[in-house]
Amino acid sequence: MTLRRRALLAALAATPFAGPARAAAPIRLGVLRTVSPAPFYIAHSRGFFAAQGVEVEFKFFQAAQPIAAAAVAGDIDVGVTALTGGFFALAGKGELQVIGGGLHETKGFELTAVLASRQAYDAGLTTLDKLPGHSFGITQFGSSFHYMLGQLAAAKKFDIKSVTLRPLQQVPNMVAAVRSGQVDATMAIASMARPLEAAGEAKIIGWVGDYVPYQITALFATAPMIATRADDLQKFCRAYQAGVAAYRAAFLRFDAAGKPLYDAATDAAITDITKYVYTGDPAAASKIKAGIGWYDLGGALDVADVKAQLAWFAAEGLVKGPIDPDGIIDTRFLPTR
Amino acid sequence: MREVGFRGGGFAPRNLPFAGALTLVLVVASWQIAASLGWISTRFLPAPLAIIQALVGLAQSGELRLHLAASLSRLAWGWAAGTAAGLMVGFALGLFSLARTPGLAIVSALFPVPKIALVPLFIVWFGIGEGSKLVTLGFGVFFPTVINTLAGVDGVSRSLIRMGQSFGLSRTAILTKIVLPGALPAILAGFRITTATAIILLVAAEMIGAEYGIGAFVLSAGNLYDTDALLAGITVLSLLGLSISWAISRLERWLLAWR
Amino acid sequence: MTAKSAVALSVEAVSHSYRDLRALDDITLAIPAGEVTVLVGPSGCGKSTLLGILGGLIAPSQGRVLMEGPIADDCLNPLTYVFQDFALLPWRDVGGNVALGLEAAGLSRDARAARVAEVLALTGLGAFATAWPKQLSGGMRQRVGIARALAVHPAVLLMDEPLSALDAQTRALLLEEFSALITASGVTTVYVTHTLSEAALLGQQIVVLSRRPGRIRDIVRINRPLAGRRVGDSDLVAVEARLWGLIRDDAADAAREFADA
Repeated sequence: MTLRRRALLAALAATPFAGPARAAAPIRLGVLRTVSPAPFYIAHSRGFFAAQGVEVEFKFFQAAQPIAAAAVAGDIDVGVTALTGGFFALAGKGELQVIGGGLHETKGFELTAVLASRQAYDAGLTTLDKLPGHSFGITQFGSSFHYMLGQLAAAKKFDIKSVTLRPLQQVPNMVAAVRSGQVDATMAIASMARPLEAAGEAKIIGWVGDYVPYQITALFATAPMIATRADDLQKFCRAYQAGVAAYRAAFLRFDAAGKPLYDAATDAAITDITKYVYTGDPAAASKIKAGIGWYDLGGALDVADVKAQLAWFAAEGLVKGPIDPDGIIDTRFLPTR
Repeated sequence: MREVGFRGGGFAPRNLPFAGALTLVLVVASWQIAASLGWISTRFLPAPLAIIQALVGLAQSGELRLHLAASLSRLAWGWAAGTAAGLMVGFALGLFSLARTPGLAIVSALFPVPKIALVPLFIVWFGIGEGSKLVTLGFGVFFPTVINTLAGVDGVSRSLIRMGQSFGLSRTAILTKIVLPGALPAILAGFRITTATAIILLVAAEMIGAEYGIGAFVLSAGNLYDTDALLAGITVLSLLGLSISWAISRLERWLLAWR
Repeated sequence: MTAKSAVALSVEAVSHSYRDLRALDDITLAIPAGEVTVLVGPSGCGKSTLLGILGGLIAPSQGRVLMEGPIADDCLNPLTYVFQDFALLPWRDVGGNVALGLEAAGLSRDARAARVAEVLALTGLGAFATAWPKQLSGGMRQRVGIARALAVHPAVLLMDEPLSALDAQTRALLLEEFSALITASGVTTVYVTHTLSEAALLGQQIVVLSRRPGRIRDIVRINRPLAGRRVGDSDLVAVEARLWGLIRDDAADAAREFADA
């Protein structure tokens, strides 16, 4: 029975009139349920994947780390995630390949804020270069927050070891800790940081993107996916590029003063995105706009940045063993910056 | 005529000395051999030698000492606080009718709550410093101690207490000379459970805001997928558990020689 | 200075109920100083309850118990029990168990040691001072029980079926020892048993209780001193037969009752 169905499907796929070929299995895409993978939402909502003949199934995660682990375990085929120490460790074992770029921290986009607690701010922690000697909440050692702090330290020329790192596992813990003054400072995305400052519970003392250009997320695929379904992956990437194009048209156009231009295309994209995040939230539009960041044209991968990240994690001892950066990057699917 | 066949025996397991240690050694040795021969992939399951190397590295860099010192002090204080409170409450429930039923209701309601789930609350209440860590450990230790102490006190023969009364022993003397030693076996058995619980909770306690500690180290190694370090940390936790269990056995042999 | 205790107890209109169950009904009884009073009766007649009331371990529902007569200066616990289940502290060695009552009385360490040595010698336990109770046979354990009781130099010895947990041979041996010890000390003794031969060998006043609710059915006296009484003495056999006659019907009824007490 199955054999006959397979044969039938193969015959259909071979028929010139059959339209876009149907993939044997959907591509399972692991993402955080945040605005950051917005181009994938748009591509899916508008049928770009279907038009390429691939079916995409979203798998939502609560944290970045499990996305890479799920890929190694074979639960997802591609994923969008921050390149953490854990990611590099898994990729270094040959399980994962970075294939494309994602969201970027860039000057002008206020994505990730550095927050100082009320008490610490009043006691003089008013600028980033005063962070030494203070405690700083991160999720985990080797997380993207840890990396961003490291980059800030490099930019502001202080030793990251002079900052007391407090691993708090989860973003809500970081926010709670800075509100109650249990840590002097932490990082939070704009949609969390701004209300805190408005309520007088913390002070924003800087934006990461202003000092540290950084490719926050990257698109990766599992080794078996690349080895056995490269064609499907190619199609997937083309749909992603279409999604990026739509995203850029909706959110990344600016007037002479550098203010974003919002129009009907923006509203349409927000409608698409709310199918995946902030569903039914009356404040969805403003929350989505607060989470918008830079995406390179064509979903280009910033190879140099990936290598810089790997080098930093290795230098900090957060990734063990020599890992060849070229061995974990595959540039055949998407352009590079 | 035929001989009556033997049908008794069995159901009387004996402790074979050294068999436990030998089993562990054999398992580790065969694991190493299988890994060396390539029968087991070491990609995500490091071989024992790699784990030992990681341990040696940790010890030489002085990191192990820092982590152990932090964890041991947390274990000691958290366990001692939870045990002291648990003993007091356990005795109160065992001795006073007014405390018993309401106290038992509260203990029964809170005992099954996974203490890990309460960690966020402890952080709000006690901060991300040592306070919340000690409370997490102490809380986890407290309930089994109460239950075991109560069972121990309940298990003290009433006729012994009546005997004490009949010889004119004061309440305090009955407590210290009859109830306490009578409950001691159950209390010491509880120590086995609570020390193991404390080690289990160490990872949860050190999840938040801990720079040093074996639990924090294990978590961090897990997050970084540093499998050698992860298993090295787990080995340390396991050895810690074994040493404490051995110490309790010594304590039992010394305090319960009369059994 | 009082060298020797001579305490008599009088039970005045004592009744006792456990919830709805009436265990003792209007007991009035004189327990003379220096004598052995034996309480016998069928199961559930309340004899152990009465013994508990005598020593202040059970508060009677009605009535009271009075004690009168001199108490010796060296008596540390006038009303002292020997228990059916021995009630030894398993975590104390023999010497430690015997010393328990002395500690409660606040005796000095040396004075304790002297008294412990004295009673251990008296009860033939001298070699067992440092043994754990679990290492002793039942008979030896009860010897510790009697040693512990004698150590406080009691004014009244309250013995609650002290032999019923032991085998027949041990019982016979211990009974002889008890008899000798009681005779030697001259202590007022109340002895609860359901074994009629024990009653006949030890009792000077034998109180027969009826089955629940316990009332005094009869009091049998044997005026002969304990010393010299032997199993099989014709007067004792006659007393046993008389006791059996008094108890028999009650015992038969009690045996058919649900054990709900």
